[in-house]
Amino acid sequence: MRTSFSPTQLADPEIAEANGILETCVHYGFCTNTCPTYVLTRDENDSPRGRIDLIRAMLERGGVPEAKTVHHLDRCLSCLSCMTTCAVKVDYAHLIDRARAHIERHYRRPWADRFVRLALAKLLPHPRRFAAALRVGRAARPLAGLLPRRWQVLTDMIPAASNQRPHLLAPGVCAPEGPRRRRVALLAGCAQQALDGAINAATVRLLTRHGCEVVIAQGAGCCGSLTLHMGREASARAWAVANVQAWTRVQADGGLDAIVVNASGCGTTVKDYGHLLARDPDWAEPARRVAALARDVSEVVADIGLAAPAKPVTYRVAYHDPCSMQHGQRVTREPRDLLRAAGFQVVDVPEGHFCCGSAGTYNLLQPDMAAALGRRKAAHIAGVDPDVVATGNIGCMMQLRRHLAVPLVHTVELLDWATGGPRPPALANVSLRTRAPPVAAGDSPGASGSAGGDIGFW
Amino acid sequence: MPSSYDAFFAEIEAALSADAVNRSAETLQRYAENTMPGGDRLPAGVVYPGSTAEVQVIVRAANKHAVPLYPISTGNNIGLGSRSASRPGQVVVDLGRNMSSILAVDERLGFAVVEPGVSYQAMYDELVRRGDKLMLDVTSGPPQGGMIGNAMDKGAGYTPYFDHFGFACGMEVVLGNGDVLRTGDGVLDSSELVNWHTSKYSFGPILDGLFTQSNYGIVTRMGMWLLPRAPAIRSFHFAFPEDDDLAEVIELCRPLKLSNFVPTLFRVSNDLYLCGSEGESPEYRASGGKRAISDAGRRVLREKTGVGAWTVSGAFYGPSAAAIEPQIARVVDHFTRSGKAKYIAHDEAANIPPLQVAINAFSGIPSLGELGLLKWRPGGGNIWFLPGTPMDGKLANEFQRLCRTIYEEHGLDYTVMNVCGPRFARGLHVITFNREDADERARADACYRKMSEEVARRGVFVGRAPLDYHDFHMAQAMPAFRNVCAAIKRAIDPNGVLAPGRYGIG
Repeated sequence: MRTSFSPTQLADPEIAEANGILETCVHYGFCTNTCPTYVLTRDENDSPRGRIDLIRAMLERGGVPEAKTVHHLDRCLSCLSCMTTCAVKVDYAHLIDRARAHIERHYRRPWADRFVRLALAKLLPHPRRFAAALRVGRAARPLAGLLPRRWQVLTDMIPAASNQRPHLLAPGVCAPEGPRRRRVALLAGCAQQALDGAINAATVRLLTRHGCEVVIAQGAGCCGSLTLHMGREASARAWAVANVQAWTRVQADGGLDAIVVNASGCGTTVKDYGHLLARDPDWAEPARRVAALARDVSEVVADIGLAAPAKPVTYRVAYHDPCSMQHGQRVTREPRDLLRAAGFQVVDVPEGHFCCGSAGTYNLLQPDMAAALGRRKAAHIAGVDPDVVATGNIGCMMQLRRHLAVPLVHTVELLDWATGGPRPPALANVSLRTRAPPVAAGDSPGASGSAGGDIGFW
Repeated sequence: MPSSYDAFFAEIEAALSADAVNRSAETLQRYAENTMPGGDRLPAGVVYPGSTAEVQVIVRAANKHAVPLYPISTGNNIGLGSRSASRPGQVVVDLGRNMSSILAVDERLGFAVVEPGVSYQAMYDELVRRGDKLMLDVTSGPPQGGMIGNAMDKGAGYTPYFDHFGFACGMEVVLGNGDVLRTGDGVLDSSELVNWHTSKYSFGPILDGLFTQSNYGIVTRMGMWLLPRAPAIRSFHFAFPEDDDLAEVIELCRPLKLSNFVPTLFRVSNDLYLCGSEGESPEYRASGGKRAISDAGRRVLREKTGVGAWTVSGAFYGPSAAAIEPQIARVVDHFTRSGKAKYIAHDEAANIPPLQVAINAFSGIPSLGELGLLKWRPGGGNIWFLPGTPMDGKLANEFQRLCRTIYEEHGLDYTVMNVCGPRFARGLHVITFNREDADERARADACYRKMSEEVARRGVFVGRAPLDYHDFHMAQAMPAFRNVCAAIKRAIDPNGVLAPGRYGIG
């Protein structure tokens, strides 16, 4: 795509970066049909190709963006399905982040929007504040009808107390069971701790059982992705620097084999710290080192090799690929392989490349689009008739629980359970159907791993 | 009769809905785009029918107001025209937007019935949802490509059901006058049609072929046969070191297909067809795109990727990997006897991305890997030259030398996959070029025309053609063929409203 930035504009490294990305787009349009918002609206401006054009026009003109541009860019999920599809590998992720930062700097949203965004930016990254806000919100729920719709949406999203298991991990070191095979730092995270502490608990058990010394670094916190995707770059960078500092200290004090992330939305951001802090003279190099160490928990366990299952768990698991995992990190095989190795029957979800509508704060800021996507994803999951749904991102879990009747857990909870840990809390009091042991998998690259069925000669 | 676009669009909005018409500048610009050397073609508007009845309304209105239409399914025909109409000013009928239902899947008889917007990915997803018992033959192109659009353009895949038109059965077609025609056993004048999608041959002439690569009707429904998925699919691959090894490769493939010992087609890909999907040409920037990549550069890429000057891929289906192993062993013995071929086993190939594309294709799994070829040169230009050769090694190698030379004369990179059956191989020649560079664009165009003329001089025609070359190729056809095509057009689309110019007709 041809652009027309002035030399003065191109002297700005951020514009220069955007220009380089824009020039790679050749408008093939493969991205349109895999973009969830385009598929729902069929509006070119709700497609990556259309948004790239809007971003080009906005950045070329500079200054205050048009409301129409903001509307369509706000509707982008940053699911990055377009990046998987794109034949010429346009770096849309960094382009949309650049656009969001521009909007945040130059566009004055209506006061209610500003207030909601500010509240999310100040609450979600802080687990204690967020847990308190959830309690307040739950108490206020009976009065939700009196609130403006924007606030009703937020109170609607608050999980029932029975579905919320807050548990904050304290900084410290968890010793491995048996000889130490790896020393890893675990990103304890922010909102996830307030929403579902069972995930971190299962992660620590799983890792220590597999010989990992697990360090919860003093000073590490939110990864920064929540604010980054709201255009608040300075805040995101501050979080990133804090984490880089914390993990660099840990690395200096005993070494680190990996930085383990169990929320894939966060993992995508941590793996990209090298880019986020590239222009920070003090932290660019440490950030690159940290990013190079970042791994999804499934990558780490797959690398070590899953211990032999402690109990038969032949349940049918629908594995939902979080967008940040499949499009952001390209980690798709490890979770499936691990679940199969643990004894579960793993089935894929149709339209797997599609976002469930969670997308960080998206389901709070764009509730209608998010709900449509959530219902669509839930219907596909229900269609494969699973006993349980596994995924690797807290955002997807919270979103899908609103639309699904099937129990939903993090992949590590199932792996922990199969290898000797407790039954996941979400499966308490749930009667699971016993299945026949899976046939030998691996011969066929078919999606289910147990292809053939009862049709025909085979 | 002069065209009356405003009246046409008003009539469509009134009969369908306001949402069924889009004439915004940004939409038209998008639908105008293609990857051809000849430039974009701005349509007059886009209409979105939701049913066969609505397609009839559109076609009848087009006749009334003398408005030319251009139907598309999902518009992923990259390298052959994308969503771009044959001529500027046509109205794109986008069937993919609102006609994307899988109407039926018969698991016992093994077929699906689909609307034009159903993509390979959507069909695959549905089959997975149903337990992954049936396999759809897919192309190695865009997963969002449409099943009907591909079959109607005589597209193909690689499994035993590779021939997408051949394995289509039973169509519903809106003709140029707005009438609806059913084909195959569907011609029976009854509302109970038991064999519509199970028997292609019924009473009377077989009309289905009229609607391939033509502009005689708009296919709104089609049956497609599906293969039961085997429990095990194991591929095999052989890398040959020299360009002229193609002669031996073709001779080795032929008996395995004539005997049907190997159930898939063979993918016989040259080095750039495989390595080209892994990134931009390492020599493009240095030469400014003026020269083809050097032999030394190709060797480096081959070594880095782990493929040959030619790499052969095929696959077996069976109850288990162990049961297939003896067949693989026979093929390995067959291919390695001369000492030239290096065997690449299934598990090793699964870790070589361009060969994983082949595994996916043999397994009926849509995948994106091959789209990387479009990035070989910057600027987004892409056309496909699709001649064929008999499965005669000497002849195939002569064509290889001829086309390689023509590519190089035009400063372009010879990139080809021969898809081999028992008697014939289709040569998928990719011409990737910088569409933003006028000189390179002109060279791509000249390269395409020169190759077309040279192979035609040797008795070879193309099997499909990019949009820019429909008239050019029609002029290569014998007069009687041109006359018959024109006469059919006059008979069933007398006002010439359906895609005038498509494949050089009307």
